[in-house]
Amino acid sequence: MNFEKFQNQSRLYVIGALEPEEVEEFEKARKKFGPKAEDFIAKCYALHEAFALSLRPSKASAAIKERLMSMVRERKQA
Amino acid sequence: MRRKAKKQARRKPKRETRHFSAPAQLEPGAPSDLELMHSIQDQDPDALSQLYDRYNGILKALILRVIHNEAEADDLLQEIFMEIWNQARNFSAQKGKPLGWMVTLRKKQAYARAEQRLQSETEQQPDAWVHNATEEEIALSDTRFLIRKVINGLPPAQQQAIDLAFFRGMSQREIAAKTNTPLGTVKTRLELGLKKIYDGLKELKDEL
Repeated sequence: MNFEKFQNQSRLYVIGALEPEEVEEFEKARKKFGPKAEDFIAKCYALHEAFALSLRPSKASAAIKERLMSMVRERKQA
Repeated sequence: MRRKAKKQARRKPKRETRHFSAPAQLEPGAPSDLELMHSIQDQDPDALSQLYDRYNGILKALILRVIHNEAEADDLLQEIFMEIWNQARNFSAQKGKPLGWMVTLRKKQAYARAEQRLQSETEQQPDAWVHNATEEEIALSDTRFLIRKVINGLPPAQQQAIDLAFFRGMSQREIAAKTNTPLGTVKTRLELGLKKIYDGLKELKDEL
């Protein structure tokens, strides 16, 4: 696999769209390209942010936050 | 004088290149996402509270793409923030930004939950991502507007493939079956679409 193909595969990988049989080949290429590959994959995760930010936020109920924070404080004290 | 002021107020704001990684304008002195994550790693509940205020809306919108039920989405949102608290030590800035990491956590939890209730979901699918991008986008923030602009530049078939893969968690084979499209075509649509979005975002800001 050349690096251009690896880049294409990386973008599919980060959104979980590689088929199982492609993952093995991808992991081999990932090792082959080393830190350069890891850098590129890390950059691809920015796609997650972009997709998230493309949606209109939907407000959660205030009770959820209260419950969450009380669980967190309990967990911390335990 | 007054007329001039009114005219200025009506004038549309200039659309400049913004950092799409910052959905909300932070107040001066407010901690960055990374600083909040470090504080959460140090078990600071206030940091989690701030992170929640910053991202609960975005994460809930993402959850609702998979779980189409408000009450259940709220429950899952709470679970995800609890998971953020519990798993914070596994977060590494070298592997990406906090929002990207949170989105990954959301995906795992939401798909697991969706699988449990897959049967009852089929009747309640929301509009596909591709159909969301209409005139209702007028109310979007600048950041979302810019990202949307990049996404909307894709052919509908590519948007649909990415929507099904990212938001619904479908495999290439599942997308091919759902859309009655050859597997190779689905793969090409995903590759081309993601590359265009990636390149488009790179143009928006030199951060990718």
